[in-house]
Amino acid sequence: MFKKILIGYDDSPGAKRALEVACEMAKALDAELWALAVLEHLPKYAASVGEIEEAQAQGQAYLRELLSGAQEYALGREVALQVDQVSGQPAQAIVKYADDQRFNLIVLGHSGHSGIWGTFLGTTADKTMRHARCSVMVVR
Amino acid sequence: MDLRIALEIGALILIASMISREIGISIAIVEIVLGIIGGNFLKLETTAWITFLASFASIVLTFLAGVEVDPQVLRSKFKESLLIGGFSFLIPFIAAWAFAYWALGWETDAAKIAGVALSTTSLAVVYAVLVETGLTNTATGKIIMAATFVTDFGTAAALSILFITPTPWLIPFVAASIFLIVLMPRLQPWFFGRYGNRITEPEIKWVFAALFLLMFLGDKAQSHAVLPAFLLGLVMAESFLRHRTEQQRLRVVAFSLLTPFFFIKAGMNISLGAVGANVGLIAVLFAVKVGAKIMGVYPFAQRYLDRDAWYATLLMSTGLTFGTISATYGLSAGIITKDQFSVLLAVVILTAVVPTLIAQRFFEPALPAKEAGREAYRPEAVLQPGGGGEG
Repeated sequence: MFKKILIGYDDSPGAKRALEVACEMAKALDAELWALAVLEHLPKYAASVGEIEEAQAQGQAYLRELLSGAQEYALGREVALQVDQVSGQPAQAIVKYADDQRFNLIVLGHSGHSGIWGTFLGTTADKTMRHARCSVMVVR
Repeated sequence: MDLRIALEIGALILIASMISREIGISIAIVEIVLGIIGGNFLKLETTAWITFLASFASIVLTFLAGVEVDPQVLRSKFKESLLIGGFSFLIPFIAAWAFAYWALGWETDAAKIAGVALSTTSLAVVYAVLVETGLTNTATGKIIMAATFVTDFGTAAALSILFITPTPWLIPFVAASIFLIVLMPRLQPWFFGRYGNRITEPEIKWVFAALFLLMFLGDKAQSHAVLPAFLLGLVMAESFLRHRTEQQRLRVVAFSLLTPFFFIKAGMNISLGAVGANVGLIAVLFAVKVGAKIMGVYPFAQRYLDRDAWYATLLMSTGLTFGTISATYGLSAGIITKDQFSVLLAVVILTAVVPTLIAQRFFEPALPAKEAGREAYRPEAVLQPGGGGEG
């Protein structure tokens, strides 16, 4: 059934819950499990490339750290978690990644770091559900 | 009195850093906005030392723009970038110059400043968008980046050459420029090896000394050191690529101590009254710049980038740093008035924001994820249950 599962991971409580459920599913279904973190919020309209590179490097280091934490967690559950990170708008990046890498299922937490903006603009989960071509599971 | 101004400007610089971090807008834009507030509402005054720091910052920014050029990208996409970047400079330059001269009745030199300030493309804005859309390593991204370098070169050349009033100092200025551009990249490995990596930062002093020399001789020659500073950065780019730490330290010094004065001073020189009275003119000049960019870039972009032509054209319409440097030079050299400066800078800021938004909203190229957004980071190993990992 689901042989390749992708978690959109941002270390929020919702994402941690999604990781927990996805680990159980991967184990039960003997599926390949991946976590994807998306780097957003680069400075808009910068005056120098250095400003962008610095923000990008900081963001990548932060994502490496949180993905490493997710790997440790999965390891504790005896699941091999592969990780990756991309830049862009989270929902768009997750949909594109899942599409290209032929994932069968995307697992997301109900509320990530979208916070109050999510209430007005729609959360990453809302947008991913609308645009993904594979199945999407939202963990509450 | 000076200390009070230092305190006030220092506070604005600090606040700008915090606001920029909180709202995710570039520090340069926030500094310009706070400069506008400082100049128009807090009645902050500029001083000789602020003017000096700001003018040195503009040369350091230009040098850094040269350092940011990736010579390999430029070489690999030379023909495409030369055509797209060359016309991206030339057509807007001629259009804005002609419009300011004939339609607005600006003086010849003021019209030239308008042409130069509105001919620019912002490498940083372009780079940020390419990173966000994951296109930096695609053919489209490389052509757009390389073309931006060429446009920057056109702007730097125009600013240095168009306003020369020949004096005997022109000869030592040109000679020193050539000497530094030829010699510094060759001496750099030896200098970095012998004196580098110390807390006293001889590498930064070595660059600053060269830029001070260019500024001094450029001033004496009644020219501008922008072109040699950009070229010096360009020829030292490969060396800085091998010494990323030194590049980072140079950026730290520039962005903590120098460029805030440049952008805040630029903001202080904007008259809100002039902006308010010239909203229509600002809109028209914006349309002239973007329209001319479309005329100059789109035909070549269509030839080389096919479906991504509109996206590339809009990104090439952005501008910020070089536009601000050009307008600031015009104001400080007495070529343009404060009202003209205010109008030009308002257009420059608009071009940093509006074309980017339109490009990202309506023309973003659709790419598969394996190309889009992929970062250099790859997990070293996949942690496996039971210990160990695999590559």
